[in-house]
Amino acid sequence: MASTVASLSIPATTFAAAAAGDVLPRRKAAATGRVWFPVARRGGGFAVRSTGPATPSNISDKLSESIKEAEETCADEKGTAECAAAWDNVEEISAAASHARDNLKENSDPLEKYCKENPETDECRIYDN
Amino acid sequence: MAICSAHTTTTSLHSPCTTTVSNAAGFRQRQVIFFTSSSNRRSCGGGGGGRRHHGGARTSCFQVSCSVDKPVVIGLAADSGCGKSTFMRRLTSVFGGAAVPPKGGNPDSNTLISDTTTVICLDDYHSLDRNGRKEYGVTALDPRANNFDLMYEQVKAIKDGQAVEKPIYNHVTGLLDPPELITPPKIFVIEGLHPMFDQRVRDLLDFSIYLDISDEVKFAWKIQRDMAERGHSLESIQASIEARKPDFDAYIDPQKQYADAVIEVLPTQLIPGDNEGKVLRVKLIMKEGVKFFNPVYLFDEGSSISWVPCGRKLTCSYPGIKFAYGPDTYFGKEVSVLEMDGQFDKLDELIYVESHLSNLSTKFYGEVTQQMLKHADFPGSNNGTGLFQTIIGLKIRDLYEQIVAERAGVPAEAAKV
Repeated sequence: MASTVASLSIPATTFAAAAAGDVLPRRKAAATGRVWFPVARRGGGFAVRSTGPATPSNISDKLSESIKEAEETCADEKGTAECAAAWDNVEEISAAASHARDNLKENSDPLEKYCKENPETDECRIYDN
Repeated sequence: MAICSAHTTTTSLHSPCTTTVSNAAGFRQRQVIFFTSSSNRRSCGGGGGGRRHHGGARTSCFQVSCSVDKPVVIGLAADSGCGKSTFMRRLTSVFGGAAVPPKGGNPDSNTLISDTTTVICLDDYHSLDRNGRKEYGVTALDPRANNFDLMYEQVKAIKDGQAVEKPIYNHVTGLLDPPELITPPKIFVIEGLHPMFDQRVRDLLDFSIYLDISDEVKFAWKIQRDMAERGHSLESIQASIEARKPDFDAYIDPQKQYADAVIEVLPTQLIPGDNEGKVLRVKLIMKEGVKFFNPVYLFDEGSSISWVPCGRKLTCSYPGIKFAYGPDTYFGKEVSVLEMDGQFDKLDELIYVESHLSNLSTKFYGEVTQQMLKHADFPGSNNGTGLFQTIIGLKIRDLYEQIVAERAGVPAEAAKV
């Protein structure tokens, strides 16, 4: 408990300043600012997802086909085993599509990929003005 | 031809133990090699024959005389689309080194390998492929679509230090591809729908985690994931969740009672009526009395605490951050629960919170914050999902180190006698 009390009395800014050197090699002036998320800074958070690479067409075709099939299978009666299996296929292919997009995104920008593994190098530094 | 004659190699790990392998050279390499002659491979009971499932006899030619190098086995259960992949990337990052698919193998392999860790996807043990499930009207969630005998045999073999030829379920084609060779790593993670379903497999796990995503958040996440896909709509996303729900409730959800740690993801309570799934309330439920696992606590172990870190020392932006901690029971078992509602907006907030949590199993001050920032582009890096996943990663690293230390200690003790 003593250590907790001790840490409570240290001003929060000390932590931030101390940590900034360790954890933010790419961001010199970010100590007291907002948390800078690398992708968010380069492309804008969730927006990256929607403007990122499109799903490969073979998966995309399979997916829309599976949705159509599920809708047809469930047209007469919902709650059947066949209906559940058909929608389960949709989920599986949707997940595969998402993974494929993530892989494309990860491999699309060589600099981005290099900097992820080597954030401390000069060419990966980002400066705040 | 030297069928099944002993071929000795030293293990790639730094121990004095040796592995006796009765196969062509290259077996211990990380690359998956499929071009060895089939007669040679079958002599060890394992074939590269595509879609057949093989019994455990395949590994009978391996003899590993070592206890230190046997992998620690971790199970991670969650539904499809609930963040298992992100969790895996955080875990392997804490263990050191990035996890990548096996080099030179099947590009659609579901396996991830790093220096210390191998992660396999349990979908690879589907006994029915996509066409089979359609024909019989069973979902992938249904145990009948999965081969638990093979899952058990192979996880057990890996845990005993033996390599296996694991099938590959191809998520793009929906077919079972020819198997890939999996050699025992230091940490072996099995992730998927059913890691704790079969008692035999469950008993092999040194630690288990369940990601419990509430219906509201699951819906929000799947909209985010799928809405841009051609053919998908709000209706189709909802229909898919609803159609899978009975099997999910019957076969997946009950596994959480067996988990050593559960990460529960719920809508926020900071914004009344919010169900957008952007701000999240996340609970980390940690079982008490699990060997080598000491739950994280806030301020005072065992007390009930509600904590709003935002105030005079720390200014937070809307909707703020709220923590809770305390003892509880979960499926009749003693647990500690740590809860975070809201999200981190500034670096100060994250480091301030880290400095007030105890038993984190970090190696240096600020390690949680460092990990979170390292993967700031992963979903959940600014909320409780990322925080608790990172903490669990640190806990598993700690557990691994303790298990290895104990194993190293036992032979030394025995030698003294």
